[in-house]
Amino acid sequence: MTKLEQQHMEQLLAAQPSLWHRVRDFFFSEEVPFGVAIVRMLICFACLLVTVPRWIHTRELYSLDGAPAPLAVNYGFYDLLPIPSGAVAVALMTVLTFCCVTACIGWWTRTSLLISAVLYTYLNLLDSMSTITKYSVITSHILVLLSCSHCGAVWSVDAWLKRRRLNLAMPRTMADYPMFAAWPRRLMQILIGVVYFGAAVTKMHTPAYFSGDQLLHWAMTNVNNSNPVGEWMTLFPAMLVVFAYLAIVWEILFLFLSWSGWGRRSMLLMGFAFHSMTTLTLGLYLFPITCISIYFAFTGSDDVVAWSARGRRWKRQARTGWKRRIATLVAVPQAIVRPIGVWLSQVAPRLTPAASGALFALSLMTVTVGAVEIEYRLDPYGERRAGGPHELREIPAETVQRMLAGDMKIREYDKFLAFDVGTEMFGGMVLGRKDHFHHGENIIVQCTLSPPHEDMWVECNLHDASDVLLDRVGQVVVRSQLRGNFLYRACQALESGTYYLVLKTGGQEITRRKITIQPGECAAARCQTAAQ
Amino acid sequence: MVRRCLAGVGIAAYLSALLFGVIAHATHFHDASHPSMYFVVWDMFCGWSAYESRTHIVGQGVSGKYYELAPGPWADYHPYGDISRQHYDSFNSYPREMALNTLKHTRHEPMSRLLVVEECWAKKYNLPNPIWERRYTEKRQLFSYYRMRTEMTPEGVIVRNSPAWLAYQNNLTISDNPRLLREAQRGTPMFDVRPTRDVSWDSESFRPATLDQNVSLDDPALTPVARGQE
Repeated sequence: MTKLEQQHMEQLLAAQPSLWHRVRDFFFSEEVPFGVAIVRMLICFACLLVTVPRWIHTRELYSLDGAPAPLAVNYGFYDLLPIPSGAVAVALMTVLTFCCVTACIGWWTRTSLLISAVLYTYLNLLDSMSTITKYSVITSHILVLLSCSHCGAVWSVDAWLKRRRLNLAMPRTMADYPMFAAWPRRLMQILIGVVYFGAAVTKMHTPAYFSGDQLLHWAMTNVNNSNPVGEWMTLFPAMLVVFAYLAIVWEILFLFLSWSGWGRRSMLLMGFAFHSMTTLTLGLYLFPITCISIYFAFTGSDDVVAWSARGRRWKRQARTGWKRRIATLVAVPQAIVRPIGVWLSQVAPRLTPAASGALFALSLMTVTVGAVEIEYRLDPYGERRAGGPHELREIPAETVQRMLAGDMKIREYDKFLAFDVGTEMFGGMVLGRKDHFHHGENIIVQCTLSPPHEDMWVECNLHDASDVLLDRVGQVVVRSQLRGNFLYRACQALESGTYYLVLKTGGQEITRRKITIQPGECAAARCQTAAQ
Repeated sequence: MVRRCLAGVGIAAYLSALLFGVIAHATHFHDASHPSMYFVVWDMFCGWSAYESRTHIVGQGVSGKYYELAPGPWADYHPYGDISRQHYDSFNSYPREMALNTLKHTRHEPMSRLLVVEECWAKKYNLPNPIWERRYTEKRQLFSYYRMRTEMTPEGVIVRNSPAWLAYQNNLTISDNPRLLREAQRGTPMFDVRPTRDVSWDSESFRPATLDQNVSLDDPALTPVARGQE
């Protein structure tokens, strides 16, 4: 390297910011908090999807007048958190719901978010059975981070009140918006990346995840909401193996690639697809809504400028066809909201922060007291109704007899999940089940077992159309195995016609599959040898 | 400047907590040492089972009649899908609270005992008919297994507790080995008194089980996971 080249290299290195400067810029560069404002609105809406339906059950779930299930008990901490009385629990739940609404619209945003973060976490911790889950934990993190941010500085009632008070015009350019350090948004991005990374670690701890068995069984469960696509996908278990690998690769890469450019676009798109699939295949709703809400933390000021420009351009071009129809649809809410905004600007008083705070506190108190009274009158346990408290429901004697009949071993039939016949294997599973085979084709038979099962002797026998045993093949399937594979060859020793593959274990027939062997080209030498 | 320093400290603390959670989870180091770990350990969908599980909380009146204690006779609460709250109690930790709450708010005859019965069935029976017909040639032979998990006095004092059905069945499969059974029986003391015994489930040593003998180990890996929306 010449001296000149060396000098040039040193200058280049000097021009590069140091790691410290890059980290500082990453967390403290200033931006308009559009991204966190969108997250604020969506995550508070997601909270409302939890709090509103549960409000009427508050007494039962979170109070001493019900059956709370504190999470801390599972960890051996029996009195970690105080459990409120019925009326206090209802009041707290109402305050939480109110604050989620005010945080969503951005009225006393920081206070609302702080109250929401504390109450949401506290009430969740009181019900480990049916309220606290990982999506609610993620929401708690986000509410805390939002309360540290300036997410109420834009697209909020607070911003509107401030503009009115200071007689400021609607912001037209980016320079008109306030700017703040980016670190709360960065922490949200890191959080979602770490959540995915942790989820990948969990999958690495679960060998059955990679064999597709875990996904297969989750797709068959009914503990979440309805999942018809998942149930349909159990017909194609090999496909689940492919999705399993794709998901874990995406979960690991997310934290490293989702920061800019094509990496960000592809990771977020894959995330959207992944969460949509969890809705369709597992029946999850709130988890996807929560995670996709956080994706908007990846929205920078530049993105909003670009989207606005694109929206305006699209609106100008939307003169014909479907674009025009969509533009009309979009214009309807605008046409409703705009006159209200104009009317409010004329009618609403110019509130000082103190007046706004007093109004906030007064509304909060009124709503809370009213809600406690309403809940009392609704009488969730029905204790004050005309006929007095409810009577217990009697269980029919035959049901009780079944329940108390005592333990029994698992039936042989229940130990088998599936019995598949095909010609190809993929990901350790039979690909493309079929019942018609040509001479020369492989007949792969696979029995899938459900754990737990003991070490088993499993037979897969070939019977002819009149049920005469032609071939008997058996193998030991040890308790750690979930699959037993049997290979037959449709050789010319077997005449064209109908046969049965009979699965047996413990000396009893479990199930059978009817197959048909048809004439065809028999290329395999072994097949011809067998025929001779 | 002070605010920026404070923010810097906050960022460092938050990232450290997230990092600790991932490491704790990956290495199983203190990952369940405190409820706060639930906020930094991301173990969604960590378990699975081939059997669907439901919990029945039953009260037996002095007349000998049996009553349903969960859900209560008021409006049923379905946290996620269409199943009631008590079915999400995967560790059988709170049946007492649910039973006593129902008794507290209803009219009923005096109770003689409270029972928790676990019901399990193979998940393949959950498949809807069109899928079943494409997957299986035989007719659906739905069968539920029941197991008494807990027996309590009317005041909620536990008098008998048994491991989950799945753990019990797993133990039966291990016991289905004469050599292992012989060795385990030879190595088991006649009197079950151990000064250093840890009462936690996962340190329970293997005990040969038969259908009549319900004392068995409880493998946490086989505990049914019935958590919704994880």
